[in-house]
Amino acid sequence: MATVTNWIDHLSAKEVVGAVYPGAGSTETLLVILGVVFWIGWHVITARSESEKLSRLARKRHGANDHKSNVTEW
Amino acid sequence: MTDQLGALTVIFTEFYYWVTVVLMFLIHVGFCMYEVGASRYKHHQHTLMKNTMVIPLVTVTWFFFGWWIYWAFPTGPGIAPSIMTESTALIMDDSTFSAKWYAPNTEFMAVNLGDHISGVFWAAFLLFSWTAASIVSGAIIERITTFAFGILAIAIGSFFWVIDAAWGWHFDGWMLKILGYHDAYASGVIHAIAGGFALGVLMVLGPRIGKFSSSGEPRNIGPRNPWLVTIGLFLIYTGFWGFYAACNIPIFDLGPEYGMEGVTYWTATNIYVTPTTLSGITYNFLMSLSGGLLAGYVVAKGDPFWTYSSGLAGIICASAGNDLYHPIQAMLIGAIGVVIAYKMHYWVERKFKIDDAVGAVAVHGYAGFAGLVICGFVLNGYPSSGYNVGAMWDGSTYASINPLGQFLGAIIMFVVLGLIPGYVLARILNAFGKLRIPREVEIAGLDYEMMEDDRDAEKAVASSTR
Repeated sequence: MATVTNWIDHLSAKEVVGAVYPGAGSTETLLVILGVVFWIGWHVITARSESEKLSRLARKRHGANDHKSNVTEW
Repeated sequence: MTDQLGALTVIFTEFYYWVTVVLMFLIHVGFCMYEVGASRYKHHQHTLMKNTMVIPLVTVTWFFFGWWIYWAFPTGPGIAPSIMTESTALIMDDSTFSAKWYAPNTEFMAVNLGDHISGVFWAAFLLFSWTAASIVSGAIIERITTFAFGILAIAIGSFFWVIDAAWGWHFDGWMLKILGYHDAYASGVIHAIAGGFALGVLMVLGPRIGKFSSSGEPRNIGPRNPWLVTIGLFLIYTGFWGFYAACNIPIFDLGPEYGMEGVTYWTATNIYVTPTTLSGITYNFLMSLSGGLLAGYVVAKGDPFWTYSSGLAGIICASAGNDLYHPIQAMLIGAIGVVIAYKMHYWVERKFKIDDAVGAVAVHGYAGFAGLVICGFVLNGYPSSGYNVGAMWDGSTYASINPLGQFLGAIIMFVVLGLIPGYVLARILNAFGKLRIPREVEIAGLDYEMMEDDRDAEKAVASSTR
């Protein structure tokens, strides 16, 4: 996986290759796909949990000042 | 880098932008404090988390597509030819400033020993993107879902503002060539667009419950923690210093850049690669801040919330031309912007029942719009670029700065890329029932369950320590 295994060889080459991260030149597109899946997945998961939470809270029909009974001292 | 002087220039530029990014982080800290200070106790944690999530959501989308858009779209596409490619298509060729290098799967969007600038420049623009999204965040507190805000934040932070930056905040942008558009420190490209976008969302979202009486009279739901608001706004001022520096190119030789044979002229430049100085814009930053504060104190009758906000509005209004104004011009323009923003805020609130919880539309939108228009008169005739200055509407040369071009630019920023997209997206989210939280939750408070859990936990701890 290592793109660079010897810095002396790497930096003394006739043309130094700039990209030094693991998998340079072969994995970037796959990484972007993984990143997009992670990003979209976050929206799906949080949207679902937020809808459930809001529905649950709405059903309880608390008053405007009910939260005051939940105020803690810590 | 094998030449020592060249290496020093590159490393200095890299470090310069890196410092501006760290400074600009304070803008977001300030926005978080400011919003929590302006919200009511039962909504505090939700308000904080909503704006905090701007950071990851806009960052990842900025990496995936936002930065690419900036480099791809200066020509419109299809409106005015690029000075690099002479084509009106998207800029995706092999030239130095092509979007080709900024797709997320290229080797320049990573650690690259041959590129010391892309990452810090990407980050500087990213921090501008957070600001655009954060401006919207404040206006809509206490009633929007986190899901909807996330979508809106990505839309303004990684898409719409970037389009306007490509058009009007890029040395090759079509708005410079056709309109003579000038907006050195983003009165329009950040503030007017974000203010317009927020207004579009507010038109659909509606006011907080209780904001207006049954007869339509607005009620004041003032900041609940004025000290947090104070510190928040001071932090935003501080970050704004970094923003100003980040809008400059710190060191550049304009002689060869403009094709002047045998001329060497090293200077700092603005984003359009026209000369200014960090020293000069420091005068103007402080004088426009002062003009805003002085005017705000008068029009708001000493109200601290509006006085602090007016300092910000003063800078925003003068920002379009603060690369060239005299400091006293900057001060007076800042003061004028504040009066316009303050009066407009209350007029719109009464007339259209718009509940802008923190005055974001006024401070950013109206002050930014006014700043662009004023700039057109004060800098009338100045070249919008150092490259090939020509006539308005020509398209192949750069028009000079002028009042009509600035007014049209302000409309593009506030209405075309701000208000309309904000309104349309909010309507779509609303149609799916995803925009606004249920009425019962708004009354109970978005933090109700969290507070209830805290109370139970406190009871459990107390009982175990008896």
